[in-house]
Amino acid sequence: MRPLLANRSVRPYLLLVAITVVLWILDGGQGRFFTTATAFSVLQQFATIGPIALGLGLSMIIREFDLSVGGMISLAGCIAVLTGASHPELGVALAVLFGLAWGLFQGAIMVWLRLGSIGVTLGGLLTLGGLAYVVTGNLSISYPRMDVALAVNRPVLSIFSFRSLIAFAVFLVAAFFMARTRVGRDVYATGSDRRAAMVAGVRTSAIIPAVFACSGMLAALGGSLLSYSLAAASGEALTDALVPATAAAIIGGVSLMGGKGTPIGMIGGVLVLCLLRAGLNAVGTPPAVQDIVTGGVLFLVAIADAVDLDPRLFAIRRYCAEMFFRRDDLGRPRQASPAE
Amino acid sequence: MSEQTLPFAGRLNWRASLPHSRRGKVLVAIRLAGVVALAAIAANTPGFFTAVSLFSLLNTTSFIGCVAIGMTFITLSGNIMSFALGVTLSTSGIVFMAALPLGLGGALIVAFAFGAAVTGAQGFVVGYFRANPIIVSMAALALITGGATLITQGQGVYPQGDAAAPLKGRVFGVSMPLAAFIFTVVVAQIALSFTRFGRQLYMVGSNWRASLAAGLDPARIVLGAYIAAGLCTALAGILMAARYSSGDLELGIGYDYSAISAVLVGGTAISGGEGSAIRSFVGAFIIAICQVLLLLHGFSTQIQYLTIGVIVLLVIMLQTLADTD
Amino acid sequence: MTAIAVSQAAAPAAEPREARAGAEQSEGAAAVVGVRNISKSFGPIAALKEVSLDISPGEIRGICGENGAGKSTLVKILTGVYRPDHGTVLVGGAPVSVATPRQAQELGIAIVAQELSLCPDLSVEDNIWLGSLRVPFLHKKPELRKRAAEALALLGADHISLDAPVARLSMGERQLVEIARLLTRDARVLILDEPTATLTDVEIERIFAALLAVKREGRSILYITHRLAEIYTICDRVTVLRNGELVATTGLSGLDRAALIGLMLGRPSGDMYPEETHVRGAPALVVEGLTLPGIVDNFSMTVRRGEILCIAGQVGSGAAEIVSALSGLVHDASGRTTVNGQPLKLGSPARAAQRGIMFVSGDRAAEGVFRRLSVLHNLVATRLREHSLFGFLRTGLLRAAASRLAKRVGVDRRRLRSRAEELSGGNQQKLAFGRCIERQANGVLLMNEPTRGIDVGARAEIYRLMRTFCEEGYALVMSSSDLEEIVGVGDVVITLYRGRQVGHYRRSEVSMHRIVADITHPADAAP
Repeated sequence: MRPLLANRSVRPYLLLVAITVVLWILDGGQGRFFTTATAFSVLQQFATIGPIALGLGLSMIIREFDLSVGGMISLAGCIAVLTGASHPELGVALAVLFGLAWGLFQGAIMVWLRLGSIGVTLGGLLTLGGLAYVVTGNLSISYPRMDVALAVNRPVLSIFSFRSLIAFAVFLVAAFFMARTRVGRDVYATGSDRRAAMVAGVRTSAIIPAVFACSGMLAALGGSLLSYSLAAASGEALTDALVPATAAAIIGGVSLMGGKGTPIGMIGGVLVLCLLRAGLNAVGTPPAVQDIVTGGVLFLVAIADAVDLDPRLFAIRRYCAEMFFRRDDLGRPRQASPAE
Repeated sequence: MSEQTLPFAGRLNWRASLPHSRRGKVLVAIRLAGVVALAAIAANTPGFFTAVSLFSLLNTTSFIGCVAIGMTFITLSGNIMSFALGVTLSTSGIVFMAALPLGLGGALIVAFAFGAAVTGAQGFVVGYFRANPIIVSMAALALITGGATLITQGQGVYPQGDAAAPLKGRVFGVSMPLAAFIFTVVVAQIALSFTRFGRQLYMVGSNWRASLAAGLDPARIVLGAYIAAGLCTALAGILMAARYSSGDLELGIGYDYSAISAVLVGGTAISGGEGSAIRSFVGAFIIAICQVLLLLHGFSTQIQYLTIGVIVLLVIMLQTLADTD
Repeated sequence: MTAIAVSQAAAPAAEPREARAGAEQSEGAAAVVGVRNISKSFGPIAALKEVSLDISPGEIRGICGENGAGKSTLVKILTGVYRPDHGTVLVGGAPVSVATPRQAQELGIAIVAQELSLCPDLSVEDNIWLGSLRVPFLHKKPELRKRAAEALALLGADHISLDAPVARLSMGERQLVEIARLLTRDARVLILDEPTATLTDVEIERIFAALLAVKREGRSILYITHRLAEIYTICDRVTVLRNGELVATTGLSGLDRAALIGLMLGRPSGDMYPEETHVRGAPALVVEGLTLPGIVDNFSMTVRRGEILCIAGQVGSGAAEIVSALSGLVHDASGRTTVNGQPLKLGSPARAAQRGIMFVSGDRAAEGVFRRLSVLHNLVATRLREHSLFGFLRTGLLRAAASRLAKRVGVDRRRLRSRAEELSGGNQQKLAFGRCIERQANGVLLMNEPTRGIDVGARAEIYRLMRTFCEEGYALVMSSSDLEEIVGVGDVVITLYRGRQVGHYRRSEVSMHRIVADITHPADAAP
């Protein structure tokens, strides 16, 4: 049982079970919770947050952070809506292509100029957000193809939709890549110890732009499909997707220190977050509570993953032991001596 | 824009303050060229130097500027930035408005204490546990937004009576927000350059482990930096709430990005340990000037936003020239 | 003494060893790898000056020299980590450009470096095949797994599970994994840089057997080490570097140890180390039963004023950890520590500093120097409290103090306003020492490998500084893996093996041979 608990990718699923139980209790048998509608709503949210969390998670695995996903979502939505009127696939393809190009650009700057990701992606976020803002002119651009908007959201097998299936597919492809291919292993190596990986012969200067290209593509995919489903692209939409996506990735087992976390685990993380939100919604809690819960979870996880957590806990434990249980430095019972 | 030296201390050897490396000198030259170009464009733009545009420029900059000074403390400590300052701004304003029945002095104390506590809690976790500052600030953003929305039910908070009136006036002929901004810059710069806390802040931001090895307590210093940020932000929040006669969550939106943009454009290093309050002051102004120039030349607010974003990106890329590698 | 000697065509009949057989190459045999006039400088420090050498196929070449002689720099150039300022690298006689570690691999050069390059989150198997050109797109192949297992078995390390994350292995096990990686590379030249630091005798023998098998396949080996015994055991020829220059390449027959050491040092060893002080005071630091879980077990020592105590041990033996723990940088250390008669609780550097403990680290970039801050700031970093009034700094006093300290440690006072990172490594380390001068009369100075990576000239100055500290009544504790330094500087030497104390020597009793024996064997084993 212990190894199972310790596995970072299994934990989110255990959490999922726990939350389901808690929500079922909160429901109190009123049947608001266990409905197809709730499941559909959860999976729709999964479709929105999932790809973004995956991209962000990949950037965290190489021990970086892609702040620009927020801006990419908006801009990709604009691109898809503006170019996808006659051929929706073209719109999505162009958006994804842009995401790829921008991600490569950011990654290349980081490698070439030896900069950290926070600075570069912050600039990217502001630039992309600004571009989206300019393109939309502070209004929403509506998407004329209502049929596409409906098709993308039409229930498949009563709980899925085209969007959520795409999201799952993307996760599964990523899972295969990370677990079974050499490139996936190199990504973990780059995050675990970049210098060691480079010395061993891994092309880290290619891996980094590739990962950022992926996170750009994934954000673009998510953003474009979302705009289709809303039949509108807005310059302001979802600049705060960053918080739930980060929370989802971290709950899913990704570590801020890099080198850890799997796509399968991230699926669990996203589901946990979406379940929390949709479930809380279904049992009637106000939306603000969802923010508090998300924030609280993120806060706890930040502490759990903190660098100096162990030393501080140790110091607290030792302090308590000395103060309350009269044990000395070596853990032996202390005799009160005049010298001290 | 010299390197971190001791200003006003004895004989100023400005030549020694210039960066020694060739790349560092190139960076200074680029920055100088940028400022000169900006001045040239400003001189050639009709309407720029009229009193109206200058004063409105100064006022809008003041609020962002205060937050930027607060952000500077966090960036200098090596913790990059906080996403929660904007929402701290608005909630401090809300708290101030709600506490006005206690009288102006009481409300001020409560609002400042609130700002310091909210940011201080983040600083505690980041300093004592060394949790990731970006994640912690995101968590705080969500918690504060959720909590505030719950409490205010999404409505604005309006003052009863006129207790906040003094804050809408002028001090020595300048508007209150501008006076507060200048005051904040001066106090912050004095703290950074002349106090032990300031010096230790630079050390902690430069190298945490070396600070430990040198016998400092980096956790306490980081906590202090975050509390300073909270106080600056609360100040801006109080004045903004007074100006608009309401406390509202909408007021602080986007301030985090504006503030960090000002900090970076001013030349403070995002990795910590290098920079100053004066640099952020200059950065806030440069951004404001760019915005006004764009406006006077007929560009929309969206283009202004985009331009600032591109400038930030370029400034970050230029930062690589500052590293003697 | 500086002629490049060619190995004798006539093999000395007195030493018919299998290892020597391959060494007697005729001059015409094409070199498998070589360098011509390689020079490399880091700022003002010249790490390599016009070095040329050739390695023949099937040869095991030892490379030795003191710290700072240029061995690691040469190796890093061969493996693509550094680019030379001048000169060429030749592979198979043709000039090549080795720009990245990957290119080095493509050219047939593989390395086990001093700094292990294993990724802690990856499994042993993944680490063995990490970065190898032979790995296909779908990297989990049974043949590769078998090869990895075979390599581990060859080194006697088959108890290590292929799926274990490397983070859970001990230092010695990690070293073996790195060597297993080396064996699986299709390299013409295998380079090992101090590979045996954390290994037992049995493991070392296994490695030598594996290296001989590699040699029989016609591949070449570059073996860099401080351990002269190993050079004599396994190498065919040895190249000696000193101060960045190639001093000699010579066969080992007819070269006795003293002569080899003479080539390495180029001068009598005594020059660099000042006379010992004769002032001895009361015990300044008393340690009893210091335990660091998993690293050090029940360590005790007493250091007196005016004395330099060296803790000798290899990497991972716990020597550096003991010093860090006494400085308060390790949180789970336990034991009784007394400073100047008062007990000290471990775990807080600030508390240690209050008691007069100062810490200088060999890892300057991480723990010692504030690189972006000015020299002045670095020097006065510990003095802020005493030169401030109500929290405000008295900058005039600080400037005067910095000026004085700079003079005492030998840093140019005109550099006070420069950034610390613009100084050489040796000068940066002097800043760290400068912080500690004139602190308190009863100070204790703790140092971890303080002269690591510093050139010879600066090292001599630092040793002089240490003696100055002694004369001022400080007690010094230094952890080091540099044998010559320990013998030269230590008044008292404590040897450590895998966390346990082995020997305790006074200056008159100690010798390099004795120390090496202690730090490579457990206390109860026969030397």
